[in-house]
Amino acid sequence: MESLSEATRQAIVLLLSGNTELWTIIGISFRVSMTAILIATVPALLTAFALSHWRFPGRRLLITLFSTFLSIPAVVVGLTFYILLSRQGILGDWKLLFTQTAMIIGQIALCFPILVVMGHTALQSAERSAWETARTLGAGSLRALYMVIREVRFGLLAALLAGFGRIIAEVGASMMLGGNILNYTRNIPTAIALETSKGEFSQGIALGLVLLIMAFSLNAVLHQLQGRGLPVP
Amino acid sequence: MTHDTLLQVNRIRKSYGKRVILEDADLELQTGECVLLTGDNGAGKTTLLRILAGLERPDRAMVNDGRHTHSWRQARKELLRLSVYLHQTAYMFDGSVSDNLAHALPRPLQRDHSRRQIRLALEWAGLDSLAKSPAKSLSGGERQRAALARAWLSQARLLLLDEPTTNMDYHARQRTLELLHALKAEGHTLLLASHDPGHFLPLADRQLGLRAGRIQPLVWDTPPAATADIPFNVMPMRRKLTW
Repeated sequence: MESLSEATRQAIVLLLSGNTELWTIIGISFRVSMTAILIATVPALLTAFALSHWRFPGRRLLITLFSTFLSIPAVVVGLTFYILLSRQGILGDWKLLFTQTAMIIGQIALCFPILVVMGHTALQSAERSAWETARTLGAGSLRALYMVIREVRFGLLAALLAGFGRIIAEVGASMMLGGNILNYTRNIPTAIALETSKGEFSQGIALGLVLLIMAFSLNAVLHQLQGRGLPVP
Repeated sequence: MTHDTLLQVNRIRKSYGKRVILEDADLELQTGECVLLTGDNGAGKTTLLRILAGLERPDRAMVNDGRHTHSWRQARKELLRLSVYLHQTAYMFDGSVSDNLAHALPRPLQRDHSRRQIRLALEWAGLDSLAKSPAKSLSGGERQRAALARAWLSQARLLLLDEPTTNMDYHARQRTLELLHALKAEGHTLLLASHDPGHFLPLADRQLGLRAGRIQPLVWDTPPAATADIPFNVMPMRRKLTW
């Protein structure tokens, strides 16, 4: 078994050499997870706003449910959608199992509760008078919503980062719904799992490094923005 | 109802659970008048103002805007358009004082035109030197003046002010009172809620009391002493806002 330092050296060489297979895996990973987070963001934030702004029957139950979904293992989400999308499942006719679309669906289900719960917390931190001031100054509902979201933008950005971090690094749902097919549904976490099981640590470490660099870059950007505040549009 | 009635709201009822705050309260406001609404803490002054601003839904209310009588559903939009509600502690959005004033401008306005209006409003409120300062760092008195400048820019006909000089020192209170007087002189209708009416007596055309959920004209056996001593004939207005 190669030493960790030797494996890391080989990983860096692999990354810098522009290995096609490796960069295809990275591309698939980002494409699937970015699509999932983009689709989930608007409905999740609207849900978070509704939960923080309106009082309606079942509101507390919904908050509790979304909080519970935070701790559901990715593999359970994968299993649930596997059953739904498999041939005998009620969504079997869609023929989506082992496609990138299935992976996106699974990742939406994983990041949606994070976006709702963290978005709800951020929006609750905004004073109610922010919404009321916007409305009383003549802003319509959408404009007022934009003004409130702008007030808590750093909290919401943190929610987006947390949601993205959860789905770009999850193995269970992607493995079950995507099937780990090379050049099609093999993403960073499933590739790491596969390469490790084969004893090929260098490619696993290279992909792990990509995840780490991405996490560091996103967090650095967030902290930079928080430090200086975003300019007023 | 007279021909220059700005707003008439009848049979307002509002309760929170079993606690009834307003019960068959009636209120009529004339264009350009200043009405002082007094009542103890918890009497329902804030609730009434928020209902009139369209921010809080009453259990029941009939609203007349001087032309038509509306149910609450129809009236809410009209109230939001007609009035500006000023919180006890004015909320300032992230950004500079100028940015905050820009939120009050009707959209869309030409950029240069906006800048000119904002500059006028800053000058009007005596906030010229703070134009670029972060609005969240303003003191209580400065916040209230910035909020009044926003209301002035918004061209709202009715200003609903909830304890507008609470926790202010003497000078901050006097400057706020000056601006309120200027707004009244420009024809804005003011409804001031305060549990400490002394500061506003020189400004008010009439006084109403909120007791046991109902609004009644207030008649003092011994009127409270006016504690505002600014010469109200001196207007802080330098230029009138034109569109």
